[in-house]
Amino acid sequence: MDCVLDGNCVKAFGKAIHALSRIGDELWLDPMVRGLALRSVNSAHSAYACFLFSPLFFQQYNLGSVSEEGNETIKCKLVIKSVLPLFRCLSSIERNVKRCQISISAPCDRVMIRFFCRHGITKTHNVRFQESEALQAVFASHLCPNVLKAPARLLGDMVTHFPVSQEEITLSMTSLRVSLRNYFEGAKDHIKTMHTEISLHPEEFDYFQVGVDSDITFCLKELRGLLAFAESHCLPVSVHSSATGRPVCFSVEDMVLEATVVLATLIDSEIRGPSQPTETPVPTTPRWILLQQFQPDCSTSGSFVARFASCHREECVVCVPRCVHAATLPVGSCEARSNIPHDITAVTELVTSSQDSPIINPPALMQLLPQTDIPNEFCVPDAACPSTSTTPASTVICSLLFRALSSDEDDDSCAAGLNVLACYSDGEETMEDYPRSFLLGEVTQDALHILTFCDVAQSRSK
Amino acid sequence: MKFRGKIVDVACLNHFSRVITTISKLTKMCVLRLTPDNLFFVLSEKVANGGVSMWCELSQANFFDEYQMEGVSPEDNEICLEVTPENLSRALKTVQSAKSVKVKLTKKHCPCLTIAAELPTLSSISRVVTHDVPVDVIPRRLWHEFIEPSVPDFDVSIYLPPLKTMKNVVDRMKNLSNFLVIEANLNGEMNLKIETDLVSVTTHFKDLGNPPWGDDSSQDGGPSQGRDPDSMAEARVDIRRLQQFLMGQQVNPSKAMCNIVHQRILHLILLHEDVSLQYFIPAVA
Repeated sequence: MDCVLDGNCVKAFGKAIHALSRIGDELWLDPMVRGLALRSVNSAHSAYACFLFSPLFFQQYNLGSVSEEGNETIKCKLVIKSVLPLFRCLSSIERNVKRCQISISAPCDRVMIRFFCRHGITKTHNVRFQESEALQAVFASHLCPNVLKAPARLLGDMVTHFPVSQEEITLSMTSLRVSLRNYFEGAKDHIKTMHTEISLHPEEFDYFQVGVDSDITFCLKELRGLLAFAESHCLPVSVHSSATGRPVCFSVEDMVLEATVVLATLIDSEIRGPSQPTETPVPTTPRWILLQQFQPDCSTSGSFVARFASCHREECVVCVPRCVHAATLPVGSCEARSNIPHDITAVTELVTSSQDSPIINPPALMQLLPQTDIPNEFCVPDAACPSTSTTPASTVICSLLFRALSSDEDDDSCAAGLNVLACYSDGEETMEDYPRSFLLGEVTQDALHILTFCDVAQSRSK
Repeated sequence: MKFRGKIVDVACLNHFSRVITTISKLTKMCVLRLTPDNLFFVLSEKVANGGVSMWCELSQANFFDEYQMEGVSPEDNEICLEVTPENLSRALKTVQSAKSVKVKLTKKHCPCLTIAAELPTLSSISRVVTHDVPVDVIPRRLWHEFIEPSVPDFDVSIYLPPLKTMKNVVDRMKNLSNFLVIEANLNGEMNLKIETDLVSVTTHFKDLGNPPWGDDSSQDGGPSQGRDPDSMAEARVDIRRLQQFLMGQQVNPSKAMCNIVHQRILHLILLHEDVSLQYFIPAVA
């Protein structure tokens, strides 16, 4: 991949990198036909940001030897700490840099960023990258009942009322008004801290649609980067959200770029299952993590991964082949073996090649997935699952899922309200040529729900 | 106990915020005394503060358009609250452009001073911002700790040089020593001195002028009258306290002066039309 940006755009590019640095430590550079995508995820996998620059943004944009299933383009993972300093001082970049060239050369494992500055000075930086599949969070914006579009400065002004150290805020939406207030975990801090609440009238928004009254709580710090970006480009910010606990998406777009930040939100503590043991000293409410999904192949069974709420910050991953027949669910064999790597952080980039069989990078997950297609069984084969170290919480969740799927078993409280973060949708964020699919659904004790979704999945699969 | 005040004028709001910001730079926590006519920010002398104390008096009529209060009881028509001025300052800073700001004593999760502001917007409905600053109510039996300090029997009283200049000098001196000697005489001369093993630095100020306290009967004008105009009264103080005082000054005072009780106390006074701030720094040996 090779692209050239001119002076003005370098500043916008730099701003995007600043915003991404607020989210996570690593930056994924993903050159595609649609444009260059810069992505980042935080370590808890509760925040994801993507800045997509279309080819029009660049003076020149060459993907190099492209084209087949996109497998030829290199996807790089860089450490933000090595890229951010290059774009740190935006005002001096604005003054001095006339052009910037970014190219990725696979053989040498390097991204070359070259600044052509005034007075004939050229600065070349080579940053090592790790080749890694693009990660992305898929979020069905079109399915969200609540949509707000705020003019450029509105949200930025609102967040100035909160101290810079404020971690989380709660956005409440009803059809009469929208309010933002700060959020406190734990009663201890509650008493002595200052509470702030701002109330906005729907008229202040360019577009206001509230289908479901909700209170969503998310991390403000991670959002500030995007708000600063939107303000500097005078772009309105769109907010897509649904009920409490579901992820919220903030996005800005323009002719040549699109930026999205998806944040997980806290669910109510009441929904937590009683059987989940409290292992951490602070009873944090489970945090919903974004689904990390990789694309299945269209024709046969791919797999999708659902990641559940990390109760107590542990994360559970369950891999399930897409084509399902719930009737054949062999619950018993799967349940005990919680196929859940205790340390999920290694299991982030989920990869499939263009072929059928999914290939996963992290070795732990390798063992979880069926190496071959199992078209008609909805089960994680326990032969493939090593007994990894797991915690009781994750076991419970895993087994709850499977129990819910079997119509015979009757579960009482634990599964109530657990949301499957498996997503299924067409078209929303088709990044490459192969269709993405994800499934949005709810697992409750009633197994039928998941069946319905699976059927939908089946019917929609080619 | 009830308190309700409303500020409508932008300039008053600005001034009020700046006073509170000044106070927040001086101390982390202080006591707010509310009376029907005035607000007082008081820091009482405690070992924990390093012996400094502060008294700031604001006349409520100069800031609030509406002001209603009901004290603890009809005889003690006052409210005493312990508050963190920084929270108040932060809350006020964000609402500088408000159409109106109401300050109320409320009870939410704990007793709070609620600052509710209406911000102007493009549409007809204003935005409402509410900040709840937690406070602690001080019981009546402790009120005696927060009374107005009496002006000490000073030896010399002198107007201060421009605060900015003084701040620059003190900032530089802070790098060299922890203690500074401030001395002044009745001839309008003041010196700031530091002395270490390696170096001693003195900054001289002249023609500062001395405030005419002498006629005031509450002061004991005697010793000052008979005092040799050239003899210096000095106080050796912790330089950080002095620096803190000078750093926080956001409001340009109409009058700035200090009274020195020889080797005892440095009493700094800043006067404004509607605000007066007194700061006491004890002298160290």
